Amino acid sequence: MTTLYVLDVPENTPLAKVAAEVSGVTVGRIGPYFEITASGAIMIDRRATGCRHAVWYSAVGGVARDSRIIQHDKDALRVEPA
Amino acid sequence: MTELDHRVKGVDHAAFPTFDPAGTVHFYRDVLGFPVVHSICAVGWGPEDHPDFIHFFFDIGNDDRIAFFYYFGFEPVHSRERGDAYAGFGPEVPEFFVRSRHLAIHVENTDDLLEYRRRLDSSAWPVEMQIKHETIESIYTHDPNGYLIEITMPLRPVTPQEDLDANLTIDALLDVVAEPDPTFGKLLARKAELIVDRAAAWELARAGQAAGR
Repeated sequence: MTTLYVLDVPENTPLAKVAAEVSGVTVGRIGPYFEITASGAIMIDRRATGCRHAVWYSAVGGVARDSRIIQHDKDALRVEPA
Repeated sequence: MTELDHRVKGVDHAAFPTFDPAGTVHFYRDVLGFPVVHSICAVGWGPEDHPDFIHFFFDIGNDDRIAFFYYFGFEPVHSRERGDAYAGFGPEVPEFFVRSRHLAIHVENTDDLLEYRRRLDSSAWPVEMQIKHETIESIYTHDPNGYLIEITMPLRPVTPQEDLDANLTIDALLDVVAEPDPTFGKLLARKAELIVDRAAAWELARAGQAAGR
């Protein structure tokens, strides 16, 4: 299982929206956070989100201990099972 | 989160040394238009090596002030090219660290931000960067003393959940730095646990408060 959390603020909404459109990815909620989960890897394309760099590089609120970020650059955010 | 009542009322003054009072007055008063609102002319007293000095203040809005000390007969404390009047840095110190300490002055909207941009750009201290951050947009320049000055406007109001997020970040940070080898990855892992523990309850409590009003 892969889980990451993203705070629900206007700048992050496109990221959650793009994540929800990725096959196998579920976007739920826990309090004011998006809870983005998948059984395997989660890959989010930065350009698809339209997030400017300052937003993109500070968007991740938390990553569950059984998951890890293996890519977070100008192209994509990729989280995999640890 | 703290249980202590919060009584303070913003910045009274933030003080910096200067070796260039003429440039400093020109930059803050004549270029930016910050009024001179207070000054102290003091004979050095106390420790024998304390020089006579002028302590002068500019209004930065909201009755907050930026202040400078000019010490008569006191020479710059370093000759390094990088840094400011207070401290110099050698080539071994990375640029991100040198630029980390700064004063950010608040404006309310784009008109005001661009007005200060116009004032700086027509001076000897033009804007070096204009950057849209996460939730603020800022212009930057260095004052005549080398201090990095930011003028910033909010892109939107701060939301309540950002206060929760900040508190979870800080609690996670304290937990992570209490252990050996803190990393960003460890912080995100600890923060995920705090989100699971607290975020849902926070939202319920807020909904309860809203219903109770």
